[in-house]
Amino acid sequence: MNKTLIGFIKKELVQTLRDRRMRVLLFVMPVIQLTLFGVALSNEVKNIRLAAVFDSKDTVLRNVYERSIAGKWFIPARSSEQDPFTMIEAGDADAVLVPPPGGFTRALGRGDAKLQLLVNATNVVQAQSIEAYLQNIVQQTVRDDLEYTPLPPPIRISTRVLFNPSLDTSVFMVPGVMCMLMLMSTMVLTNVAIVREKEMGTFEMLISAPVSRSEVIYGKTIPYVILGMSNVPLILGVAVFAFHVPMRGSLIALFIASFAFVCTAVALGTLISTYCKNQQQAALAGFLFNFPMIMFSGMMFPLENMPAVLRWLSFFDPLAHFMGLLRNIMIKGGQAEYVVTHIVYLTIIAVICVVASFRRFHTTLE
Amino acid sequence: MNDLAVEVKGLSVRFGDFYAVNGISFTVRRGETFGFLGANGAGKTTTIRVLCGLLRPSEGLVSVGGISFDHNEQAVKAKVGYMSQKFTLYNDMTVEENLNFTASLRKMEKATYEQRRKELFDFISFDKPLNTLVRDLSGGTKQQVSLAAALLHDPEIIFLDEPTAGVTPASRSRFWQLIRQLAKRNKTVFVTTHYMDEAEQCDRIALMREGRIIALDSPEGLKTAAFSTPMLEFDPRGSLSFAEVSAFARHDVFLFFEPYGLRFHAAIKSEDAWETVRNGFEKNFTIKRIKPSLEDVFIQIVEGKAG
Repeated sequence: MNKTLIGFIKKELVQTLRDRRMRVLLFVMPVIQLTLFGVALSNEVKNIRLAAVFDSKDTVLRNVYERSIAGKWFIPARSSEQDPFTMIEAGDADAVLVPPPGGFTRALGRGDAKLQLLVNATNVVQAQSIEAYLQNIVQQTVRDDLEYTPLPPPIRISTRVLFNPSLDTSVFMVPGVMCMLMLMSTMVLTNVAIVREKEMGTFEMLISAPVSRSEVIYGKTIPYVILGMSNVPLILGVAVFAFHVPMRGSLIALFIASFAFVCTAVALGTLISTYCKNQQQAALAGFLFNFPMIMFSGMMFPLENMPAVLRWLSFFDPLAHFMGLLRNIMIKGGQAEYVVTHIVYLTIIAVICVVASFRRFHTTLE
Repeated sequence: MNDLAVEVKGLSVRFGDFYAVNGISFTVRRGETFGFLGANGAGKTTTIRVLCGLLRPSEGLVSVGGISFDHNEQAVKAKVGYMSQKFTLYNDMTVEENLNFTASLRKMEKATYEQRRKELFDFISFDKPLNTLVRDLSGGTKQQVSLAAALLHDPEIIFLDEPTAGVTPASRSRFWQLIRQLAKRNKTVFVTTHYMDEAEQCDRIALMREGRIIALDSPEGLKTAAFSTPMLEFDPRGSLSFAEVSAFARHDVFLFFEPYGLRFHAAIKSEDAWETVRNGFEKNFTIKRIKPSLEDVFIQIVEGKAG
């Protein structure tokens, strides 16, 4: 192997791993962040403050309320004594069940039961979840209390939840967080490492030797591919053993996909570094790229909800491809066509970044 | 074999509309210690960067070590050693790791590198453990290790850009001993500096101002050329007010009259004119004739105080 390249790899690894803070940032922080984000980032709605306006004779509504509180989603509202609107306005309740005049139980007996649900919809996702949860609980309670079986609807949808039968959010979110962490530890690190050389003046010494453009570019990037890949087993271990994210696909496929992504992220970091003159610019550029990359990756919001133009943008987002790959390989077992296609997309993005970096990078000063 | 280590003809370096170096021409002989002297922004570093293959000239012909480089920087880089103005070793690496990296950049064979490293450590009298972190070295030792790194591949020509900036006088003196030893070994040393005493030790000096070479000669030659009339040193007999000093400085008899520590150095326009006013000055000063220093030359020529 080329002496210069070996020298670069040794130097970058020594510099990065000698610093205790860098070791913590590289190998401890991802584990802590994955653990924290894995627990914190969830679409499940919990601890909803519920109130219901009922008298002692309204047994069905009381049962609906008690059944709701007994589950894991609802907790009692601070007070049930006020006007339902006031309770929501004052922030004492997130949802209030209001029966028709005379009570819900009597209305059911008359056959024209209408139960009103007031929901605080400042958080739309939460409001939709509350509505769905309560509809289920009301139907079950009515069926059990009145031994009433409604006529079956003309079409019955038999739902079978595949790949994540318990609808556990962490199974969906943890691979997303894994991608995000790997992006940070590769793209940002590469970008800063190159810009730091320019800022410290060591870049001048480096290019005063007869080194080629490819030696400098590969020398500055290969070490960060190695460091990025060393994070994969660590993060994967936490995901599988701490969050019980299934690993249904091939480990080899997962490592190939990770390698393609790490190379792409490092190539992108290198390209960004050719536009930055100091570490402040590098940090800002890192932020400016990371944020949209996460937004268009489908980690937080489904890509299908985005306008077509923005969905196209996600094609250029390596994070979107890698997130799809990780979820596909880990949760669905990895469909060969999907995996190969997205690895090819990642490779195309990496090649574009490398070619652009070569065009912009010079072994002379500007 | 060409006797010239560096040959520059009509070199210009332009950044946008600004000329950092503007049509300079000069040559440096093999084995010569050549100094570049000038104020900040005069174009010294830009010139040295071109000569090291770090910067492409906008116009002009440049030949270093017999290689004329039309975008052939790599061949030039192989022949030269460069120690930049900024400190260019990695502080978070040991002395050995820094030199190992430099050797890998130069693609040196292991045996050759180890032999060279030993020779260079003897040369700079480096006696600290090789695993000492560079950040733990003193400023002077860091500069010497930087020099060793620049010399590792045994270059024909060594470019030193303000190598002693920010180090102690003792370290400066030690560094110049090393430069003199290099010259004895027939190495061409091209050095930029702000220090006049350092410039005095060069075989020839080019004085730069605003991207142009305004004088080029040996230190003695520059002094003779700059001052055809004698230089005088004025030692005040008592305290002088600022207004009095200003009045003396503006006197027609002087080419310049500048403070020099607690004394003043002045160049007179002619002996005849001086004799007519001499008695008046002797009331306030003890006056003696001196040889001009390089600083006087610098003030006279580079800063253009007179003329």
